[in-house]
Amino acid sequence: MAFVENSVGAYATMYAFADSEGDRPTTPTPASRAKRFGRIVPVTIMVLCGLFFTLPLLAMARFSLQNVPMIHLGWSTLFKKWSFSGITRAFGEQGFRDGLKLSSVLAVGTVVLTLGLLLPTALWVHLRVPKARAFIEFLTVLPYVIPPIALVAGIRVIKPHARWFLNSDLSLIPFYVVLALPFTFRALDAGIRAIDVKTLVDASRGLGAGWVTTMRRALIPNLRTAIISSAFLTATVVLGEFTIAQVLLKRTLPQFMAEYQSREGQGGMGLALLAIVATTTLLAILTLATRKRGQAQPISRF
Amino acid sequence: MTTLVVPSVGGRAVGATPKARRSWAWLGLFPFFAFLALFLIVPAISVFSKSLYDSKDHFGLTALRDAFRGQNLAAFKFSVWLSALSAAVGVVVGTLLAYAAATARRPRWLRSLVASFSGVAANLGGIPLAFAFIALLGRQGLATKILSALGVDLYGSGFQLDTTQGLTAAYSYFQIPLMVLITLPAIDGLKTSWRESAASLGGTSFTYWRRIGLPVLAPSLLGGFLLLFANAFSAYATARAMTTKSLIVPLRIGFYLRGDISTGEEQLGFSLAAWMIIIMAVCMGLYWILRKRAERWRS
Repeated sequence: MAFVENSVGAYATMYAFADSEGDRPTTPTPASRAKRFGRIVPVTIMVLCGLFFTLPLLAMARFSLQNVPMIHLGWSTLFKKWSFSGITRAFGEQGFRDGLKLSSVLAVGTVVLTLGLLLPTALWVHLRVPKARAFIEFLTVLPYVIPPIALVAGIRVIKPHARWFLNSDLSLIPFYVVLALPFTFRALDAGIRAIDVKTLVDASRGLGAGWVTTMRRALIPNLRTAIISSAFLTATVVLGEFTIAQVLLKRTLPQFMAEYQSREGQGGMGLALLAIVATTTLLAILTLATRKRGQAQPISRF
Repeated sequence: MTTLVVPSVGGRAVGATPKARRSWAWLGLFPFFAFLALFLIVPAISVFSKSLYDSKDHFGLTALRDAFRGQNLAAFKFSVWLSALSAAVGVVVGTLLAYAAATARRPRWLRSLVASFSGVAANLGGIPLAFAFIALLGRQGLATKILSALGVDLYGSGFQLDTTQGLTAAYSYFQIPLMVLITLPAIDGLKTSWRESAASLGGTSFTYWRRIGLPVLAPSLLGGFLLLFANAFSAYATARAMTTKSLIVPLRIGFYLRGDISTGEEQLGFSLAAWMIIIMAVCMGLYWILRKRAERWRS
C-alpha cells in the first residue's frame, strides 16, 4: 500500500527513470587537496540520511512488536518481550476485516476500471489520433492540480444531486481511478510505445482476427509488464488512500488503522508497520522486475 | 483546450475525406473524456461555482475573500511556511544526497539503492508515516528516549510533534526522496567535459559550480522546490494523523467538509478548496515551464 498523500510529483520520475540507462555521472576530477574533503562530505550525507530513513521504521517496529514501556527500555530489556500479539489482536477486530474487505474490493474495482478505460484509450491515441497525445497527457496530470482534498470538496458539492450513487461505498472507485490516472496512463503509454503496435494490429487483422481477438491474443500478451505495473500501482494507491475515504466517512482499511491506533496504540502501529513493509516489498519487486528488462518505464507514481 | 472538444466533429459526413475520417477518430476518445469530465472536471468546477456564491446566494468574490479571515488566514500562513520549509529541506538534502549517490564509485550498488529507495519512500506518506514519526519523536518516542539518555530534553526545549518542526521532520521523509528523483537525472546531465574545460581554462572547483554547475542545475532545483511545495501544501493524511488541531489548509477544508456545521460555514470549505486548486495550478504550471528548460541540457 502506498500512502500517498497526493500525486503532485508523480511525473518527476517519469523522466527520473527514463534516462537512468544513459551516461554515468561525472566523477569530479579531483584536485588532490580537495580529495579527502570531497570524500568525507558525501559519506557523512549518506550516513545521516541512512539514519533518518531507518530510525522511524525501527522506532515503529519496536513500538508495535515489543511489550516494554519506553520508561523501562534499556540495554537489559532491549531483547525482551518481543511478540506479534498486538498485530494478531488487530487481525481479530471486526473493523479490520471489514476495512480490508472494502479496500480489497475497491482495489480490484479500480484496477479493472482503470485498465478497461485506459488501455483502449491509450491504444486508440497511439493508432488513430497521435495528435491528441499532448492533450491527453495534459489531462492525465490534472489530478495533481486538483488534489484529493479539493476533489472531495467537489464531491461534497455534487452529493445532494447524486446521493443514490455517492451513498454506495463502491462510488469511490471512479475517483480512485482519477487519483491513479497520472501514472497508470504513463505506465501503459510507455509499454505501448516500446512495442510496434501498428504492425501487431495489422498482422493480426490481416489474418482475419477481429478487434477482440487482436486485443486478447496479440496486444495484451505483449503489454503484460505495463499492465501489471499499472495494476500494482493502482492497487497501492487504493489501499493507502485516506483523504477521500475519511471525509466521506467510508470505512476503508487506512480509515480503520487511524481509528484503531487511537484506542489500541500498539495494534494500530503494528498494522501501519505491516502496511509499510507490504508497500516497500511490492514496489521493490516492481522496480527490480522492470529494471531487469531494461525498459525505461516509470515504476513509481513519482 | 477548447479547440479540442470532441463533439465538434459530430456534424461531418461519414468518411467522406481523409480529414473527416480523422475527425471521427476523435470520437474514440469520448469515453475517456466523458469519464474525466464527470469525475474530475465537474467536481472541480462545482467547487468554484460554490465558492463564487456567498451564504446568501449572491454572486461575487466575497466568499473567496472570506477564506482569508481569522483562523483560515492563520492556516494559510502556517501552510505556506510549513510547505516552504519542508520544500527547502527537501531541495537541499535531496540534492546533496543525489549528488553523493551519483558520484559514488564504491560500492557499486549504492546509486541504484538510493534511486530505488527514493522511488519507494517518495510514495510513503499518510497514516503509517505519521505513526512512524509518533513512534520516533512522540513523548514516548525512541529518539526522545535516546536524546534524553544523551542529556538532551527534547520536549523540555519546546519541541512538539504538531508544530512546524515535527511536521517538517515527517514531511522530509517523502520530500527528500522526491527531490532525489528529480535531481538525479539533472546531476547525471552534468558532463565531465564541462568540468574538464573549466579546469583547463584555469577554473577552480568553486568557479565551476558558480559559473557552470549551478546555472545548469538551477531550473531543476527551482522546479523541484515548486513541486515539493505543492506536494506539501496539498498533503492531508500525514498531518491529520499527527495532530487533532486544524493547523493547515487541507485540514481546515476537511474540518468544514466533515463537520456538522451550518451551511454558511461549509461554504468556507469550498472557498478554501478553490484556493487550493488555484495555488496548485500556479505551482504546477511554473514547474512545467521549468522542467522544459531543465530538459534542454539533457540529450
